[in-house]
Amino acid sequence: MEKTEIILRDNGTLTERIIRERDLLAEGEVLDALTAEVTRQQRHVFAIPSWGAAHADVGVTDTLWSVPINRIPLKARFRVINGVLLPMFASLTDLEMPMVWSAPKEVRLVFAVRTTVEDDLVIVGGNWLFALDANHSGYRLPLPNLHDECTLCTGEFADSYDTALAAVSASLEQFNQSKWNADLMRTVAQSQKFFRFRPSNETFTTLPIEAADWTTLCDKVATAILDRVLL
Amino acid sequence: MKKIIVEYGVDSITKQVESGFTFGDLQDSDAFKGALGFGDNTKALVNGIEQNRNTVIPDGTTVRLETAANTKA
Repeated sequence: MEKTEIILRDNGTLTERIIRERDLLAEGEVLDALTAEVTRQQRHVFAIPSWGAAHADVGVTDTLWSVPINRIPLKARFRVINGVLLPMFASLTDLEMPMVWSAPKEVRLVFAVRTTVEDDLVIVGGNWLFALDANHSGYRLPLPNLHDECTLCTGEFADSYDTALAAVSASLEQFNQSKWNADLMRTVAQSQKFFRFRPSNETFTTLPIEAADWTTLCDKVATAILDRVLL
Repeated sequence: MKKIIVEYGVDSITKQVESGFTFGDLQDSDAFKGALGFGDNTKALVNGIEQNRNTVIPDGTTVRLETAANTKA
């Protein structure tokens, strides 16, 4: 509807004012489009036994779960070089060992799981492993089985669960059980400077990273998934 | 015979090999694989430049072996 008004001003000028009115269709799909990128963050949604708290970044179509972790299970082949136990991911002959690498406090690790809901089931849509520095910048660790954007290649496992807790727990269990091989391997020297152990009589101790700045052994990453990670 | 230095990861060895020994021979050598722990899928670099498998390794060369990135998920 359009309406025209003629205004006579105090100074004698005539002004034409045209007013157009229409109803806007601000309904469901418009609101969905406006809020498609909006997410809500909720900390400590649930606790994963032996791992810790899971935080959620809830979007319109999916949820990204972040589980801050302090260790990486490294089921891989190792050998002792100059008294230090080092990973040999590409070796076919060295001894396979279930090592656990303890992260130093300056390397903040996050295991992330993206889930969607379909037919009342929680579907795992991917697992990521990020290392973050004090400034919350993200890095790809010098590990094989990690894509450029830090997606984990964990092998086949069931992707449908009754609850989000079950889905995140299953992802972490798969991470815990997976063997690390040479797929997607980069420079092995960087891995061997990062993941080091000192063998002793009955156990292995994680040694400090062999670099003044651990980030120099990693690749910096910046992705939409990383933007949703909570520590 | 000639002497070559082979580096893989943080480890390295120096070894005498036959004069016609090529980069491909090195990459396929079970003796070097066992000694350094690399696998079947490698690339050979000299001063950061990838070398052809058929090229004979010059005497005294330092060869760095890297696991060749594959795209397997």
